[in-house]
Amino acid sequence: MNNAIQVCGLKKSYDSNIVLGGLDLEIEKGETFALLGVNGAGKTTALECIEGLRKYDSGTITVNGKMGIQLQSSSLPAHIKPMEAVRLFSKWNKAKIDFTMLNALGMKEIEKKQYIQLSTGQKRRLHLALALIGNPDIIFLDEPTAGLDALGRVSLHEQIRKLKLQGKTIVLASHDMAEVENLCDRIAILNTGNIAFCGTATELTDKIGEKYFIHIKTQQGNSTFETDNIEDTLISLLNDLKQKEIHILDIKVDRGTLEQHFIEMARRETE
Amino acid sequence: MNGFLYGVVLQWKLDIRSKSLLVTCYIVPLIFFLLMGGIFTSVMPEMKSTLIQSMIVMSVSMGAFIGLPPSLIETYGSDIKKVYKANGVPIYLGLGTMFLSAFVHLMISCIMIMLLAPILFEATLPTQLPFFLLALAIYIIVSLSIGSVLGLTVKNQAKLTMIAQLVFLPSIMLSGIMFPIDLLPDFLEAIGRIFPASCGYRLMLDHGFCFENLWYLIFIIFAAVIVCGTVLKKQKAK
Repeated sequence: MNNAIQVCGLKKSYDSNIVLGGLDLEIEKGETFALLGVNGAGKTTALECIEGLRKYDSGTITVNGKMGIQLQSSSLPAHIKPMEAVRLFSKWNKAKIDFTMLNALGMKEIEKKQYIQLSTGQKRRLHLALALIGNPDIIFLDEPTAGLDALGRVSLHEQIRKLKLQGKTIVLASHDMAEVENLCDRIAILNTGNIAFCGTATELTDKIGEKYFIHIKTQQGNSTFETDNIEDTLISLLNDLKQKEIHILDIKVDRGTLEQHFIEMARRETE
Repeated sequence: MNGFLYGVVLQWKLDIRSKSLLVTCYIVPLIFFLLMGGIFTSVMPEMKSTLIQSMIVMSVSMGAFIGLPPSLIETYGSDIKKVYKANGVPIYLGLGTMFLSAFVHLMISCIMIMLLAPILFEATLPTQLPFFLLALAIYIIVSLSIGSVLGLTVKNQAKLTMIAQLVFLPSIMLSGIMFPIDLLPDFLEAIGRIFPASCGYRLMLDHGFCFENLWYLIFIIFAAVIVCGTVLKKQKAK
């Protein structure tokens, strides 16, 4: 079986509020998969149902492999030390402590600090280390880089890429589109409890990215032009700049970022 | 060491680091003991025979009603409880480790009082020591059971502080540890008997270990187990 996770007709509601209205999802083994959606779209509920942290009303969830769950930054006692948490989780999971993995995540530097004294980045790394205890096949990361500075993000992305190279299946929920574009093989966009899109970032661009964006940098500054007809607009722009004797320093053409497509998709879905 | 035992030892250390149990199980009760022990035994020398039991009721009530519940709210009122589910361990594990850790803290504090009272205030040691220790263990369990119910049912710290005081103050004021319960007006005496401190106090006195003083405490333990079990079952079902 190639699927690490298979979700069929997953339904969940809180009183009269339907959060998941029959979600279908397949995540392949070894894939890095992102679950996107605006706030209230049902991402966290869907993830928690798959992780077994939340009960659901109906549907089936099949998970093929051991799960490792990176919890949010409020899920450890304030005064616990990182190595104590690692030892506790290892005993619960009946797993040996992987010191190589812990060193790679920088646990050595913070072993004497209490959880409350850790920075956001250090907490995230600790939660990732805890999720990796027992060598899980499927790793769930819920907004892994939220609140991190640029260096912290780069370092964590590096760790996630290493996990992918080890063949782990990674399921990611994030609001950071650049992160998703960088790390993920496929994305699913959730809207009011249903999948509005599921595929690669390129497939989303093909579906949504009808316009081209021309970014031109000159000595006078940066300009971006939006067009449906790339050839005509580009030729006319170049001619115009040549006539005005403005030198081009850099020029780039794209079909919009994942973020723009996500916003456009969310807009279409709400209309 | 298995996961449960490691969890208890770790919780014991966390309790000391967090200061809340350190203050409520050791610092305040021992200061109270040092001050009031001196006052009680000089004003009423006959209290030397019950000083240990009185001070123990005060210590246990403080640790169990004021010290334990905030730790439980920190765990069961937050995302920390998800850690248990995510690692496939039962949700009641947190309650179990905190309960046992607090039990050990309170036992240590009470034994310190028992050992210091004769030296500092010429207090009389209980004559039936095994029965006294058994009664002490039962009283600690009863008080921690009530603390557990408070920690699991009250949803925020502000409310908890108020409700915990409503249990703690009558427990020490109306249980007979400050002055004989017979001196109280009838209605206050009746209220005092609702709180387990009065039964616990009588159970720890010499020749007080009898069914009359025991049944109510056992009833409270069973009731607390049912309430805690129901609350945790509801939390799990979510």
